[in-house]
Amino acid sequence: MNKDKKNLWRKMKRFRSIYLLLLPVLIYFVVFSYYPLILGIVKSFQEVKLLGNSEFVGLENYKTVFTNSQYHQAFINSLIVGGGTFVFQFVWGLVVALVLNEIRVKILRSAFQTVTFIPYLLSWSVVGGLWITILSPTGMINGFLRLLEGAAYTPVAFMAEAGFARTIMIFTGSWKGAGYFAALFMASIVSIDGSLYEAARIDGASRIQQIRYITVPVIVPTMKVVAVLSVMGILRNFDQIFVMMNATISDKVKNLLYLIYEQGILKFNVGEATAAATVVLVATLLITQAVRKLLHYDAIYE
Amino acid sequence: MKKRGKLSNHLKGGWAVLFIVLALITAVTMFLPMWEVFVVGTSSTLDSSSAGLKLWWHEFSLEGFEYVFRVTKLAKPFLNSLFVTTTGTVIQVLLAALAGYVLIQKELPFRNAISSFIMLTMMVPGDLTLISVYQLNKQLHLLNSYQGLILNGLISGFSIMMMRNYFQTVPYTLEEAARIDGSGEFGIFARIYMPISLPGLATVFFMEYVARWNSIMLPATLVTDESLYTLPVMLKAMIMSTESTSGTSVAPDNAIMAAIIITTVPLLLIYVFAQKFLLNGISMGAVKE
Repeated sequence: MNKDKKNLWRKMKRFRSIYLLLLPVLIYFVVFSYYPLILGIVKSFQEVKLLGNSEFVGLENYKTVFTNSQYHQAFINSLIVGGGTFVFQFVWGLVVALVLNEIRVKILRSAFQTVTFIPYLLSWSVVGGLWITILSPTGMINGFLRLLEGAAYTPVAFMAEAGFARTIMIFTGSWKGAGYFAALFMASIVSIDGSLYEAARIDGASRIQQIRYITVPVIVPTMKVVAVLSVMGILRNFDQIFVMMNATISDKVKNLLYLIYEQGILKFNVGEATAAATVVLVATLLITQAVRKLLHYDAIYE
Repeated sequence: MKKRGKLSNHLKGGWAVLFIVLALITAVTMFLPMWEVFVVGTSSTLDSSSAGLKLWWHEFSLEGFEYVFRVTKLAKPFLNSLFVTTTGTVIQVLLAALAGYVLIQKELPFRNAISSFIMLTMMVPGDLTLISVYQLNKQLHLLNSYQGLILNGLISGFSIMMMRNYFQTVPYTLEEAARIDGSGEFGIFARIYMPISLPGLATVFFMEYVARWNSIMLPATLVTDESLYTLPVMLKAMIMSTESTSGTSVAPDNAIMAAIIITTVPLLLIYVFAQKFLLNGISMGAVKE
């Protein structure tokens, strides 16, 4: 026993320089990851005052978060926009991947992949600015509608109509992310051995049957990964709303993360905001675990 | 061997039509908005604000670019973004490589504990600790400073784990040979592991570069001084002209589109020259989660 300890000590001494090397990294994580996390949880039990000391108020902040209607609304908005985006983006990404796999002309194939993937690389400032302009009264959508309806057409300010707001967020979110999902699906599709298709063809399977019985089953594990990844993100969409929201549509699209930012950073309601953030964090972890279980996710890598 | 042509393995009939229609709809939906950005960004201010479709130039003009450099003064945010992103990414990749190398030392006592300590930071997304990150930066006097923009998110558990995974694939015999030749620990790291893992380094570098270049939430929270704005924050301020901190008038469409083009060009370059690394990193990232 004592000898083991001595051994360990000697080993640790041998790795002295390595520990030293790692020290800045570990300190960084303590300061920039663990400290904010703990600070946030502590603050969530406090009433933080601009002047003077904060005082502990127990579960008061959590009570506010669970009873206040603006948090309810933000939660509903997060679910509708986040969930809607996930479903639409998932289906669209799948379509892109399957279509891509059927394009045999090399130039067309890489053009299609590029044009679907580029939006994923762009910042939300770019995508938001782009769609706000395209949906504006002088933008492209109104331009097409005018073409269809003639000179008597009165332009619609799409971004200022509460009725369109969620649809627009879901659509633009999917527009940005479909190529990303497609790239993930493609990563498993390209691993398919070409001779499988060949064999199926010789057995008389039509191409659509090959897609159904060879391509799709190969992507299923990736679909599960993608589902888990996205579920973790559903409650955490900030950038899009930060860029695209305006006063007329805020009731429909302001989500939890934006509300937390608004309360915590702009209005100094630190206690309430950190309580809400903690709730979102716990909810995210729980939902992710549940989805993992549901999809038997962990079995994929065994 | 016979009738090769007849055995072509393509979709037929209705399915073929469906796939072609889906491909066309997707291509048009993805491409047209980006094309319009390009056309409007290089059109005159008058043309860009007129109603109707703008899918081709009425008159080619660089007024929009002139506007963003003269009125919005976009050169500063561009340089800010370039500086903050490049510095942060380079440091991040180096530190990730060092930490990743440490984590593959099989004999290292407490290796698993250190690993878990780092991996645990990946469970808590940064955007959920934003409020306390803001307060931390306030305490450290990092608000409105380049240091703050670089330091936040400087080291990520994700990059470290990516590098560790790359290093793990390096055959041990190489290391052994170098050891016999008398290489020290650092020599082995610098001369064996780093060169072999260049694709891994590139993957982490480009993934991180894109993410940093695009980030909005942190820079928008940490910086209120307009001279420190990064491109996405400036662009956001241009779009939301009613809240414009500069008090400038509403930016015309061609100026916003010009700013979008400027923000996008570096990413397009990365896509063109480093596509392989990006796609690789994306699928690795997803698998690892």
